[in-house]
Amino acid sequence: MNFVLGAVDYVGRAVLHSVEEAGRIFQLFLSVLAWLVRPPLRLRPIFKQMEFVGVRSIFVVVLTGTFTGMVLALQTYHGFRMFSAESMVGATVALSMTRELGPVLTALMVTARAGSAMAAELGTMRVTEQIDALYVMAANPVKYLIVPRMVASVVMLPFLTIVSDFVGVVGGYFVGVHLLRINSGIFMKNITKIVELDDIFNGLIKAAFFGLILSLIGCYKGFNTTGGAEGVGRATTEAVVLASVMILISDYFLTALMF
Amino acid sequence: MFSISSEAKVGLFVLIGMIILAYMSFQVGQRGFTFKKGYLVEVQFDNASGLAPDASVQIAGVEVGRVEAIRLKDGKALVTLRLPREIKLEKDVTAAIKTHGILGDKYVEIIPGTAGKEALQPGERIERVERQADVDRLLNQLAAIAEDVKAVTGSLSKVMGGKEGVDTLGAILENTRQLTRNLNMVVKSNEANLRAMLENTRELTGNLNRIVVQNDEKVGQVIDNLKTASKEMEKTFAALSEITATVKGGEGTLGQLIKDRQMAERLSKTMASLQEVSDKINSGRGTIGKLVNDEETVNNLNQSLSGLNRYINKTEQFRTYIGYRGEYLLDKSDAKSYVDLRIQSRQDYFYLLGLAVDPRGRRTERESTTNNVTTRTEEWDKQGLLFNAQLGKRFKDFVVRGGIMESSGGVGVDFLTFKDRLKLTFEAFDFSRDRKTHLKTGGELRIFKNIYLNAGWDDFISDQGNSSPYVGISIRFEDEDLKYLMGSVPVPK
Repeated sequence: MNFVLGAVDYVGRAVLHSVEEAGRIFQLFLSVLAWLVRPPLRLRPIFKQMEFVGVRSIFVVVLTGTFTGMVLALQTYHGFRMFSAESMVGATVALSMTRELGPVLTALMVTARAGSAMAAELGTMRVTEQIDALYVMAANPVKYLIVPRMVASVVMLPFLTIVSDFVGVVGGYFVGVHLLRINSGIFMKNITKIVELDDIFNGLIKAAFFGLILSLIGCYKGFNTTGGAEGVGRATTEAVVLASVMILISDYFLTALMF
Repeated sequence: MFSISSEAKVGLFVLIGMIILAYMSFQVGQRGFTFKKGYLVEVQFDNASGLAPDASVQIAGVEVGRVEAIRLKDGKALVTLRLPREIKLEKDVTAAIKTHGILGDKYVEIIPGTAGKEALQPGERIERVERQADVDRLLNQLAAIAEDVKAVTGSLSKVMGGKEGVDTLGAILENTRQLTRNLNMVVKSNEANLRAMLENTRELTGNLNRIVVQNDEKVGQVIDNLKTASKEMEKTFAALSEITATVKGGEGTLGQLIKDRQMAERLSKTMASLQEVSDKINSGRGTIGKLVNDEETVNNLNQSLSGLNRYINKTEQFRTYIGYRGEYLLDKSDAKSYVDLRIQSRQDYFYLLGLAVDPRGRRTERESTTNNVTTRTEEWDKQGLLFNAQLGKRFKDFVVRGGIMESSGGVGVDFLTFKDRLKLTFEAFDFSRDRKTHLKTGGELRIFKNIYLNAGWDDFISDQGNSSPYVGISIRFEDEDLKYLMGSVPVPK
């Protein structure tokens, strides 16, 4: 009996907690929007974050993108060979990359790289009371710390995604044409025939949205860290897990909405 | 070691991203930019299954446009195609839905028409459509054919199957082989004889033919003459032998004549009076003489004969129509019915006899003043049955008719148009003092062979409240039987 009650109690607490957390995250988002439009807009910290989120992520994004494209080409080749439709490999790779894999994998990589860093950074500042110090200096930490990170993420994610799309297709091309000996002309013709401009742009819109999610959750988790060094570690983990899960969930709904 | 500012790094990265995006967009989005231009044409397919918006439109395998939209119209698929301006389609191009690739992508193929023909304008429709090969229908037909073939092979196998059948077939083949071999041998060994025989036969028939052709007529005549002659002779001989026998015995007139003197005298007298009578007739005396000798008699006879002829012809010309017309008076909630018999004695001339039933009647108001008292009387003419008897003549599109209309004198004009399908009528009758003339106007439209729709306005200037629009239907057909009945009625001349 006690066990059952305990389970109900636990589930109830968990639900309440998550609803509460969702509310707080949304609150933070609103205050970021409010501080975003309030002058002065300082570009320097934004560019610093852009460099951190975008430029420093290029390498890992290119790597994942290329190999995803390559393995996709390899896998779909075996499937399509059953119907002697190898010429569709290129189109499949390009479509998957632009619509799904480009935005999602990029967002996951950036979450792992930059989202975690945001949580750790802000968490450390919180536990070392630097955020309180900012309050004391009459500098709003939301405007000073969170706004640049979110703007940078939202702006940079689409660019990273387009790079990922491109290198993914190039990787697929390499595997398909050079290793699997698919006719290069047909490979490219099918890509240009089947992939539409909308596929690419909808992927980029998704990426921007993912950028918003990962920075918002990273900042929230870091901003609300408690419990010293251990708390920072926990906040970082929670930020990465929650952001990744949210990205994948929202991906489904965005896809359903857009395509 | 020099360091690049983060702005520069970000800027460079953004630039690279933009370039890649632009490149990819141009690669995949080319059509998206170009094909929104151009013009639209329509084409109607019985079945556009599998065809999707944005499917390609090809001429000779070259993509020239895209399918803009697919809509349902009148149970068919109306497909709108977008084509660039520089692609001109002739008016007689043919459109077809075709399949390419193993995935069965459908596209619209346009087969060019005659070069130099007028070009299809934007928004116009491609009239020629090639029927799409429907796989289901094809399979159904194939299945039916297979069924038939199976039946044939089944019965064949029944006939030929089994040991017996095989043996019989073998025997037949063997016999045939022997027969042909023997025949061959015969022909070979007698080749020269056969040839000579054939040659002779040919000559003989040729000669025979010539003789017959040359003497065809004569031979026929000779045979005919012989036949009649022999018949006549036979008769003559028989009669002669009879006569001689009778005369010899003194029987019969001739016998008596020859034997009896008195008889001979009488005969001669009779002959004389006969002579007299014929003389009289000849000179025109007596009734018969007059009849025979008078020219007038002949003329009269001729006339009566030609009159009879004309009468018979008339009967043939006569066309008789029977018609019924019902008119529902909308303001009166009442209906008038007409039954007509129209006898068209000539193409442009007709008699119209008929009855009309007007259950409502016509209202008439009278005011009379006697001893300063004004009496208003309201009368209802309720003649249940009204009569029509009119004469009509047609002048091209107009028909003028007059006579008795609804039991009163009247005239009417009809105007026929659209190959006599539509008739506009104006009638004026009942010219009475108490009320205004009954004017009626309307139209009659033939909808089927014998069925007409009527609409119009009855008594439209009535001051008695008789005015009402009407709608109606009429049935009219030609009656063959009645015509002959009319033809057989004795007509006094």
